[in-house]
Parts: sequence; C-alpha cells; structure tokens
Amino acid sequence: MNVKIDGKYYSGNKGETLLELARRNEIEIPSLCYKEGFEGLGRCRLCLVEVIEGNSTKTVSSCVYPIRDGIEVLTNTKNIVNMRKDIIFLLLLRTPNNGYIRKLAEEYGVKAPSRYLDMEREEDCILCGLCVKACEKLGTNAISLVNRGITKKVSTPYDDASKDCIGCGACAEVCPTNAISLVEQDGKRIIWNKTFDLISCTRCGKCYSTEEVLHHIDEQLGVKTQEYLCESCSRRLVGEKFKEAFQNLI
Amino acid sequence: MAKGIVISPDKCTGCRICELACSFIKNDSFNPKDSAIAVLPYDSVGLQVPMTCLQCDDPHCMTVCTVGAITKDPKTGVVKVDDEKCIGCKMCVSACPFGNMTYSSRHEGVVKCDLCDGEPQCVKLCPSDAIEYKELDGPLNKRKNIANLFSDVFGEVAE
Repeated sequence: MNVKIDGKYYSGNKGETLLELARRNEIEIPSLCYKEGFEGLGRCRLCLVEVIEGNSTKTVSSCVYPIRDGIEVLTNTKNIVNMRKDIIFLLLLRTPNNGYIRKLAEEYGVKAPSRYLDMEREEDCILCGLCVKACEKLGTNAISLVNRGITKKVSTPYDDASKDCIGCGACAEVCPTNAISLVEQDGKRIIWNKTFDLISCTRCGKCYSTEEVLHHIDEQLGVKTQEYLCESCSRRLVGEKFKEAFQNLI
Repeated sequence: MAKGIVISPDKCTGCRICELACSFIKNDSFNPKDSAIAVLPYDSVGLQVPMTCLQCDDPHCMTVCTVGAITKDPKTGVVKVDDEKCIGCKMCVSACPFGNMTYSSRHEGVVKCDLCDGEPQCVKLCPSDAIEYKELDGPLNKRKNIANLFSDVFGEVAE
C-alpha cells in the first residue's frame, strides 16, 4: 500500500495505522497517549493529521486511522498546527501546573490568558487512559476510566483499594504526565489508595517488590518461588555457585 | 549457529573494564550500576566471576512480559528488550532466576545484555580474554559439556 505523507511516498502494510507508518519512517507527529505495542487509543487527539482521499479532505487521529492505498497525508498544515494548539491550550487549562504539559505549551507557543488559568488547580491527569491500557495488558484490570463529563477520572472501583491491584507501578511508569502517585517509604508502597507491604530480600534485606507481583510472576511461570531474593542477591547466589564449581576445577 | 558470551572466571582480573564499557556504550555514562555485566569478586579464593545475561532458550523474562516487549531472535538467539514497548512493570527483573536484569531509574528502563548486535563491546575491551564471544554449539558440543559440568549448579537455580 502506497501512502503519500508530506509529499513523499511510503509503503505500508495492511492494517497498519498512519501513526505507526509515520513513526516507522521517522516522520514527526506529536502524541501523548500513543505507546508502541498498544493499539491506538485516540484520546489525546494530538496526532491529528489531514487525509486527502479523492476530492475530499478530512481530519483524523493518525493513531487510530488504518492506512488505505492512495491516500495523501499532510502532517503539518497551518490548520493542523492550529488544532493542536487548541488541544494543548485546553490541556493547559486542565493541568496548569504540570511540567510536561507546560513544556509542550511552550514548544507550541501556546499561552493561556490568566483569566482562564486557575493556578490553584492540582490536576496532572489528562485522561489519556494509557495507565488503564497498561493495567489491562498486564491482566490485572484494577483501574478504569470512571464517571463522565467533568467528573471523569481514572480510578479503582469506588476509589477503594482494589483487590486486583498488584502494586507493580506500571501505570505510573507509562503515564505521560506523571500524574499517578506512587509512594515508597518504610517498607511500604502506596498506590491507588492501597498500601502494600514490600517484600524484603531474605539475604540483604532490601525491599524490592510486592508479594502480589511475585505471586503474579509465579503464576505465569507456573513455579513457586522458594526464597525471596532481590536481583543483586540472585546474581550473587549464581556467582557463588560458579565460584564453587570453578574452585573444584582448578 | 548461535554465538554467545563465554566466561572464564579463572582468567578474570577483576579490572571491571567490561562494566564501564557496557554502561558507556549503552547509557553514555561510566556507571557500573547501569551496566548489563557485573563482576562478582571472590578475593578469598582469588576468583572473579563476570556475570551477564545467558540469553536463555526459554527466557523467564520473556514469559512474564505481557506486552511483548521482550523477544528472542530465532536466528541469533539474542533476547532483546524493546524500550518503546516496555511499560516498566519490572516483572522481568524479579523473574530472572540469575538476577541478570536490573532496572535503572535514571534511564527509566531495564538494563539487559543484548550482545551489542553481535559486537559485544565488553568482550572487545576485556584485556585478559575472560569473556569471549564465540559459537556456542561448536563441533565438540562444548555447550553440552559445560551444561553437564554445571547441571547440579543450574539445576538448583533454574527450573
């Protein structure tokens, strides 16, 4: 399938989305909610592009638009840039204190008039849903987008500590705006209103993971962990056995 | 035939150039913590054991990765992590029975040996040939011999 992007022709595979094709060919299209390996979510709308097909032109989110043979794509027209600026403007109003969004606004030259900006607002989430997707991919499904309209947010059922959450922290890791709080102190990890007791390594005592995560791993591997060891100590254990074996050889 | 890193603890001098080479090539810094190879010192018996990813045939890290960020190249046998796909759940770090995967919070990603696309820099810079990059299934079936030699060792650690 041949697709013309900004005047150059690229060949794509069936089922591929426009954004995937563009990323593969190192064409810059901004995005917040796209992650390689996940199907496009189409939530942040920053990856908007213009698609010309026959006589008609339309604006689409490239992360969810499957390519078709013969289409022409424009990624940086005045129209598109203006629309992206509008989106960033709205995101800036939602999360006025978020460093990442502020940087993005600066890059695009977006300034919000102070009468719109509520600097007291403590919000970092842009509701892109990447965390929800990551949790789903892990098979835990502990969090979800809840409510509608202005009360929409990411949370566990009824904001309670979810029994499905294993405390792995992948949601916090994939979040583009660092909106998810993961606190680790005194041998405890607190995330999504749930407090996990961290497992400490039986050899060195370093707190390294939650029991739920280790159970999850055991389940997938079909084994039972005999001893809780952090990665440095498992390495040391193998090293020691190597040492013993070599000692006998010499 | 798959090539791999072969270690000889008796030749290792413990200079740790491999650790620095790895961290510099992969992360542009001289920080052994960001290195995919680590030298474990056993001074009392005069042995140094360089440890790095064994590129397992049936890698535990790959099994636990639910987003498919870890793949094993069927041709070269290299188990590789795709940082773009990684969601940072760190399950692979805990799942590796040899502790050869670490997480670097500075680089927000896992650190794992990928054999530098066939040109391992640690091997290139090792002054005493304690780590070598060679065919694993040689005509002498060396790999099997080694496996037999260590069967009791690995039997306890791996499944």
